[in-house]
Amino acid sequence: MVSSFCWSCLTRLPTASPRAMLPPTLTPQRVAAFHTSSTLLASPLKKKSTGNVAAPRYRQANSARMKKKGKAVERARPPPAGERRALRKRIVLSNPNALEVEDMQDISAENMVDSRLHGAVLGLPVPMLDQLRAVQAFKPKQGWSIFRRPGTVMRRESLELGRLIDSISNNPEDKGKVVKRVLTGAKGTGKTVHLLQAMAMAFTKEWVVITVPECQDLVLANTSYAPLSDKTPNVYVQNEATAALLNRTVTANQKVLSTLKVSREHPALKSLVARDMTLQDLANIGIQDPAAAWAVFQALWTELAATSAAPGFEAGFSPRPPMLVAVDGIGHWMKETKYRSAKFEPVHAHDLVFVQHFLSLLKPGNNQQSALPNGGILLYATSGSNSPSVYSLDVALKQVAARRQGVTPSSSNFPQPAAYSKIDQRVFAALDAPASSIPTEGALELQTMAGVSRDEARGFMEYFARSGLLRQHVTEEWVNEKWTLAGGGVIGELEMLGRRLTVPAQVE
Amino acid sequence: MPPRLNILTARAVPVLRQPSTSAVNGSAAARRSIATIVNANRPSTTNGLKFVPSVSVRMSQRWNSSGSDGKDKPEGYKGPTEDPLPHVSEEAAEVSKIMDKRCDGVASSPELEQGTPVSEILQRDKNAQKHAPKVMQDQMKNQSGKRSFSTSARRMESGLESTNFDDASAAMVANMVAAVNEQAAELHFGEGLKFEKPTKAMAKTDNFRSRYDSLLEQFTKQLMRDGKLTKAYNDMSFILDHLRTSPPPNTSMKRPLLPGPSSSQLPLNPVLYLTLIVDSVAPLLKIRQQKGVIGGGASVQIPVPLALRQRRRQAIRWIIDSSDKRRDSNFAMRVAQELVAVAEGRSGVWDRREAVHKLGIAGRSNLAKR
Repeated sequence: MVSSFCWSCLTRLPTASPRAMLPPTLTPQRVAAFHTSSTLLASPLKKKSTGNVAAPRYRQANSARMKKKGKAVERARPPPAGERRALRKRIVLSNPNALEVEDMQDISAENMVDSRLHGAVLGLPVPMLDQLRAVQAFKPKQGWSIFRRPGTVMRRESLELGRLIDSISNNPEDKGKVVKRVLTGAKGTGKTVHLLQAMAMAFTKEWVVITVPECQDLVLANTSYAPLSDKTPNVYVQNEATAALLNRTVTANQKVLSTLKVSREHPALKSLVARDMTLQDLANIGIQDPAAAWAVFQALWTELAATSAAPGFEAGFSPRPPMLVAVDGIGHWMKETKYRSAKFEPVHAHDLVFVQHFLSLLKPGNNQQSALPNGGILLYATSGSNSPSVYSLDVALKQVAARRQGVTPSSSNFPQPAAYSKIDQRVFAALDAPASSIPTEGALELQTMAGVSRDEARGFMEYFARSGLLRQHVTEEWVNEKWTLAGGGVIGELEMLGRRLTVPAQVE
Repeated sequence: MPPRLNILTARAVPVLRQPSTSAVNGSAAARRSIATIVNANRPSTTNGLKFVPSVSVRMSQRWNSSGSDGKDKPEGYKGPTEDPLPHVSEEAAEVSKIMDKRCDGVASSPELEQGTPVSEILQRDKNAQKHAPKVMQDQMKNQSGKRSFSTSARRMESGLESTNFDDASAAMVANMVAAVNEQAAELHFGEGLKFEKPTKAMAKTDNFRSRYDSLLEQFTKQLMRDGKLTKAYNDMSFILDHLRTSPPPNTSMKRPLLPGPSSSQLPLNPVLYLTLIVDSVAPLLKIRQQKGVIGGGASVQIPVPLALRQRRRQAIRWIIDSSDKRRDSNFAMRVAQELVAVAEGRSGVWDRREAVHKLGIAGRSNLAKR
């Protein structure tokens, strides 16, 4: 743009416009507004609030919250209560797709002593399965579910047990004989299945079978507990668990218990017990009223241990059968429980009257009566998979074995706990069972289960093949290979190898 | 004095020296080195220059064929090895007789010091033959050209094949060598093996990495979450047990499984069952979106064939994906139920397969534009 004045004229003061000469007006000029809306004046300055715009709520996070992208909202509702547990504990004993093994015999009174069946798989009789289920002889992960029907290998220990049960039942010399055993062994060596076989054999001989299928259930603080009485505030009774035990016993032994009659007065139960009552009815009292369960169990035990009737009860008395007491997982009974005393101190398992009863059976009987006066077998198994490590129990079991071999406790060879180790004297006291003065009562023994022999392994593997589950030639060489892979015939490992689907070896 | 060695005849010296009188021709000459051939032909090239360019031609002929020997030799020419020479030690003896007449019995040259082989002395001296030990005489008498035992083990050796042992001792040594070889052949089982051949070939299971079926391995790896392979193995064994124990599938007519055993037999062979399920829903192809073929930024769908492993991978992927819609809380249970649903033709995986195949058929025309 060209300037309106020339450079030479710069010295002159410009008098640009006459309007500039007008004096400023003091009064506001009223100018017609172009807009009709009123002027908006700026609001007076507010004081700026420093810091938080809005004060955080109580316990609200101060930091900036970002929306999380990764986490998808779980829309599916969880399954109903108890469903998962039922699925976990479900026991399937049959697979209709598997082939029926021809000429497979069932466990019976005849063949449980037959040494020709050593290494063969014997089926469990189908009518007995309900009884075995009632005493919870089967465990969920034992692999029964892929076979047509459950069967067990007759191994050397099983045959020996069969002969024992047979002789206690039939042999007049062994009448009233008591065998007390603690079963140990590595994981998967067949301790629980050995108990199962003992139960099956006892059922065939019509014994009374009393079981504690899982010791851990009694010490987990899952069932109710209360002091036994005012006199013994440190001993606790578990009524619900006792009622469950009575229920198991009645369901499994209904046939036997319904034939036996009450043989004496039971002052603890007063008028609840009638004179002509069967033992089944007696036990049902405890099932229906858990508060009386412990007293009922004691009464039932007294009846089963009776060798003769009290005066006045002779009419309906019949001799009591031998008993099998099977307890699985006694490691949990050798330490403090999850229960608490009134002083909030942990309750030791030996303070539970239920546990006390079963552990006292290991001791020699008193009053010139053995622990099981009518004879029978005590089988107490440790667990390989679910066992707390109790050092005192390990040493005590070694002591049991040493005592059985004739090593006296005063000898230097007698196993002793390591010096300065924390030991539980009650465990030693519970398993310290000297030889009994009663001739029919055997001393406490330790039976260690190990792997099966190669012949037994072969019989087991042929069972897989004949059930159609193993599509391979079961040869001597193949069985030996699996036997070795299974840690020297550990039968739980053999079972896993049998159901594993490897590529079959090419046949030349 | 060094022994006189004819350079032209220099070759790997055999243990048993060939008699100098035997004609050296045929295949033996053909096996000579190239240099020897060139040297041997040099006298003929001196006859006329016209032969010079043909040397290489002849050389190649020599290498390729052995039957051309002697054709291009001049008539009167005697081969370099045809000139009979006495044995080295005999020659040395001759020379020493001429050169130094020593009578004290001390050998004047290393050849004389080492002595002459008995066989040569016997060959030369009829009198010595007569008074030779009985063993040697027996050997010389029995020299009939064939032996009482088989020499088949040595028949393959070309160096000895054409050799005819005309002296008894050589035959004797050959007998001993053959006997030893025969013993060795008996020991080593005939096939050049040092030890006995293994009776059983290596089975696939003998390698622990391939003890499971390949499909099983692939499926298990795809079941794996967060790198927990052991969990995946447990899931897979659950799935196989479910296939074993669940009732045989009611296969639908519309969506049948691949041909195999009847459905009632499938649960007892769960690996085959699983293989049939996966292979039945495996797509044959995938659709590739390819840009820049028709221009304008548009992409065309081109069907691409899949290999077996790729097909299975896609099918497993689909099965696991559609199993996620199930309600069961157990992952392995969901997959197992989905597998049975596929076997019975109820699963949505079949629809996905059909959709891909339909797209593939539609995209066949695009293959020409590629």
